[in-house]
Amino acid sequence: MKRVRELSKKPWFLGILVTIFVVVILWNIPIEKRKYGLSQNSLVTDYTGLLPERVEKVVKAKNRNELQKIVKQANKNGEKISVAGLQHSQGGHTYYKDGVVLDMRTFNKILEIDELHKTIRVEAGATWEDVQEAVLPHGLALKVTQSQSVFTIGGSLSVNVHGRDIRFGPMAETVKEMTLLTPTGEIKKVTRDDSEEWMKYVFGGYGLFGVILDVTLDLTENDIYTIHTEKLKTDEYESYFKNLSGDRKTAMHYARVSVAPSSFLDEMYVINYNYTGGQDRKTLLKGEQGVQLSKLALDLGRQGGALEDIFWKTQKRYIRSINGKKITRNNAMRSESTFMEYTKPGRVEVLQEFFVPVYSYEEYINDLKHLLKANDKNDDFKVHNITVRYAAKDNFTTLNYAKEDMFGFVILIQHGLKEEEIANATAMIQKWTRLTMEHGGTYYLPYYRYQTKEQFKESYPKWEKFQEEKLRRDPNEVFQNLFYDYYVK
Amino acid sequence: MNRKSEWYIPLVVTVGQVVIFPYYIIWLKQVSLTFTLFAWFFAAFSFAAAWGYRIFQTKQNKNASYIAFIYAGMGCVYILTSCIKNSFESLPYVVLLLQVILGLLQGYFRAWHSMQKTYHLHAVHHYLIVGFMMIVFSFVKVISPVVFITIFGLLLCICGFWDLIRNKEAG
Repeated sequence: MKRVRELSKKPWFLGILVTIFVVVILWNIPIEKRKYGLSQNSLVTDYTGLLPERVEKVVKAKNRNELQKIVKQANKNGEKISVAGLQHSQGGHTYYKDGVVLDMRTFNKILEIDELHKTIRVEAGATWEDVQEAVLPHGLALKVTQSQSVFTIGGSLSVNVHGRDIRFGPMAETVKEMTLLTPTGEIKKVTRDDSEEWMKYVFGGYGLFGVILDVTLDLTENDIYTIHTEKLKTDEYESYFKNLSGDRKTAMHYARVSVAPSSFLDEMYVINYNYTGGQDRKTLLKGEQGVQLSKLALDLGRQGGALEDIFWKTQKRYIRSINGKKITRNNAMRSESTFMEYTKPGRVEVLQEFFVPVYSYEEYINDLKHLLKANDKNDDFKVHNITVRYAAKDNFTTLNYAKEDMFGFVILIQHGLKEEEIANATAMIQKWTRLTMEHGGTYYLPYYRYQTKEQFKESYPKWEKFQEEKLRRDPNEVFQNLFYDYYVK
Repeated sequence: MNRKSEWYIPLVVTVGQVVIFPYYIIWLKQVSLTFTLFAWFFAAFSFAAAWGYRIFQTKQNKNASYIAFIYAGMGCVYILTSCIKNSFESLPYVVLLLQVILGLLQGYFRAWHSMQKTYHLHAVHHYLIVGFMMIVFSFVKVISPVVFITIFGLLLCICGFWDLIRNKEAG
């Protein structure tokens, strides 16, 4: 005891204590969350903070009747309405100049779970996390959802997302029934075989065909999977995937392509979730893990050059380390997202997704090598990440991105916010889109509109039908947003 | 009390530290993302102050205190604080470092001050002066705490410079 007391009198003892404490704090400093969306004081934005716009007001309605009243009044008074959830879309889909924004986050109740028929009825403002928490004790899981669970149901359906499950198509296919507040203010129950075909326009309709109030979704078992990872050359992937989809051992699958200078678009990793036959009711939903480390590694990669090579090596080591591990379906559908936060003033990170037919993959990757620089360390336009997911053919929705079985390339891009930097990024992404279209592909619409209107019209040949139906179902054009303004009007 | 600097500067620094405290707190709260982090920043400051105090206590030659540099160091931290205009991603890490440096310097200064003959007299005076100053400041509309933090930072640097000059003259 005396020795401890003596020790504590030494200045270095307190120095060590301070150092330890500082390290603990450093480790626990939360990753900064951007201020975006409806929380801004004067101008509304969405996730990227691009396209700031003034809106008339943001309304948090208490119930459906109040929503209905707002829509009817807007039809009478010529007001414009937009619908917002968590605003992860990046092209101004959730607001309109001087319009009214319906903040749907309060409509987040789980209304009914039918364990026998494996369905859930849930309000559109609930998040996928809410749904996962509700279905977990029943041993159930979603059929299709995004890789993260931070989005609202209404938002995901409005952009008709696809997931990682290679057995199912886009999310729209898993909706059995929907309650819709139509643009003219009627509340309707809509089913898949509804003669008015509302679902065809509402899903992937980007909030232009009324307000989704609730939906009944198909569920499946909360299966236990074994994670299988494998390193491939990009030219091996096409045949690898054909075999994978043929042998039916795998439920979910995605791949990560190298953007590091030394293996740029040459190397890739596949991550498969293979059936074990087991199902789970007990495993809790996992929280965000290793956020600080992942953020540190990603920030390292963001520096480009040799550091991006180190980042890719780190990713490979991590992916190898999860090979053979078991995971439940629910947990496989909730990847970490906080580590991707990027808040450097004067710069922005955006997503783009390009779809190319499965059979065009190899040629597309080869052409991409000519378009993009392997080492973008000294460039303003930087590609930080490419993941590949399978998107099955969608015959259902009008603005369908998968006209046949496609691979979706999800791209994380960083560029500056000066006028010339945005112009450079726009030119680059337009070239990329052109290349994608030459390979029979399309691009995804929830992101910032770098593309030209001509590229939109060519990628989505049914846009005229979409416009026609919009004007027929919403004759006063009450439901508006910046996406509609730019592309469709 | 042969030298005026020996009499006035520690008093100015002690009073200033207490007066600037509310403004510094406002700034610190603004840059802390959460209350937990705010509290941790304070804890880091406090531990570092204990460390600084102990460093001076165990110092062999207490006459070579380098106190002028301590004033200037504290001044630089305050000026640096006021130079941070925008919130940026690594700001909490920078703030943590500043808190530790400030705590270390303040602890060292306090230990040095407590060894001075004027310490007990200063204790009474500083309470009185702070009381009056805070009443005066209550009528001043705060545009931004950063303005006061900058002024105090500059004042500390001047104190450091003055003390250094006086020491050289005396030496």
